[in-house]
Amino acid sequence: MFAITGINWTNLLTKETITAVIRIAALIAIGFPLLAFISAIAGRAVKKRFTPQASMLVRKGIFYTGSVLLLVSILYQMGFKLTALLGALGIAGIAIGFASQTSVSNIISGLFLISEKPFTVGDIIKVGDTKGTILSIDLLSVKLRTFDNQFIRIPNESLIKNQVTNITRFPIRRLDINVGVAYKENVGKVREVLLDIAIKEPLCLDEPEPIVRFLNFGDSALEFLFAVWCVKDDYLKINTKMMQQIKERFDAENIEIPFPHRSLYTGSVTEPFPIRIVNGQSEDKTKSP
Amino acid sequence: MDVWKSQKIISDQCMQGQIGPLRLWLKQADDELRIAVERIEDIKDILETRVFEPIKGSEPEDLDWGRWVVGTNADTIKLMPLTPDRPLVVRPEVPLKIPTNHEALFFVSFPIWVRIVTDKPRQLNLCEVPSVVLSNIWFGDPMSGELCYSLRSRARRKINNSEPSPHRAICPVRIRNSSMRQLDVERFCVHVEHLKIYDGIEKLWTNEISITFKGESEVSQVQYAQSPPSFEPVKNVVSEARIPLKKPLLKKSLSKFKLFSGA
Repeated sequence: MFAITGINWTNLLTKETITAVIRIAALIAIGFPLLAFISAIAGRAVKKRFTPQASMLVRKGIFYTGSVLLLVSILYQMGFKLTALLGALGIAGIAIGFASQTSVSNIISGLFLISEKPFTVGDIIKVGDTKGTILSIDLLSVKLRTFDNQFIRIPNESLIKNQVTNITRFPIRRLDINVGVAYKENVGKVREVLLDIAIKEPLCLDEPEPIVRFLNFGDSALEFLFAVWCVKDDYLKINTKMMQQIKERFDAENIEIPFPHRSLYTGSVTEPFPIRIVNGQSEDKTKSP
Repeated sequence: MDVWKSQKIISDQCMQGQIGPLRLWLKQADDELRIAVERIEDIKDILETRVFEPIKGSEPEDLDWGRWVVGTNADTIKLMPLTPDRPLVVRPEVPLKIPTNHEALFFVSFPIWVRIVTDKPRQLNLCEVPSVVLSNIWFGDPMSGELCYSLRSRARRKINNSEPSPHRAICPVRIRNSSMRQLDVERFCVHVEHLKIYDGIEKLWTNEISITFKGESEVSQVQYAQSPPSFEPVKNVVSEARIPLKKPLLKKSLSKFKLFSGA
């Protein structure tokens, strides 16, 4: 009754075959859920003591290694010869290895990033011209959210090769503002006014102390560096506040903030610049513009 | 002081109260309570204290009101003095030197915070406001220190010299130098969040802090007295510590090094 289209089903349904099928079913039904459970437990245990990245690594490591072992066991139960299978896998591995050089490089870079911990999820980093908050650190890439709400994926390899600035690593930051004032202004008074602005702003830290440094005799201005310290979360707020207060206080104290300008002389610094009226009949060499 | 007792709110009327430089405005309508905060800069008014009273005329237009749903039967409000929510770094105007095996007692006067709570029918914390907004300061290493409030202080040695300001509490700090070298007290960190506030006859007080300095490379031992201060008779505890603490702390509380700030 089982002989359909030439296949003798009675011969196929031997005791060994049925046992093998049951074993395979048991491996699939119990093995994979058990593997997922163990990896989740291990991940949770690691997360308590280490970083979320280390937890993810342990979880995925256990799951993928266990999956390969389960697959090999299933193939063995199906009657595949493991030596031939491993040989085939070796050849396939070489081919896959050549094809996935970049991915492997990213994975290894990812492992370095996870062990070195130059940044963690939530830090603000700067890579080249890209600046953003880290959403996740995965095996192949790091995902960022920029301040204008764009999603950026940076391969781990490029993070290992290039300079990465972790802006929020330390709890306090220094805000540097370049200030230029007119040459006629009193340097001491400028310094006094700038320090007073910092002292009166409660979000500026009293210590480390604010700094006013006379930097340079610029083309159009006396150039100062005004540096104040703040908690990293207040950085943007302080930036805006300081800029506004510098302008308001300088206006109140009659301190001129010069724009770039150039003076032209015709040989003497005191003589007026001579002009000639082209449309008129006369020529005046003493009138200044 | 009467300002720390329960006070009746008159519905649909704008009321005003004052604790030193902090002027508070209240307005209740239906189930909603509106609160606004103003800080006075006029030196003449800065020592005044007034319970909530209805104002004559209309309130200033530039007040920044906050709104709370408190229910229609909330007719009583209470103000509670609190310690600041972060430690204070006290910087004496003139640094003091303490020789080996000597101790010095300072009376540090600091501006309190005020918590506004509805008192009846049930207590509901509405908000906390500082009587004076203190500047931020970083105490310790720029990589691992802690954020504190900066307090320029005369760090008085005698209690009689302290003026009775309604918005300030006095914390007795005893510093003992157990190290082998003279101690220059340029700044010290007071964890006020572990302190209770007591209502004295004239002033608000906190429990006493004892700091034992053991050397530059050693951590200092900080002890918070559990009993009220003995410098003035105190009536009762007006506010419990934000973070109660019973065991002595081992912390870096004294610092004479300048923090790195180079450009």
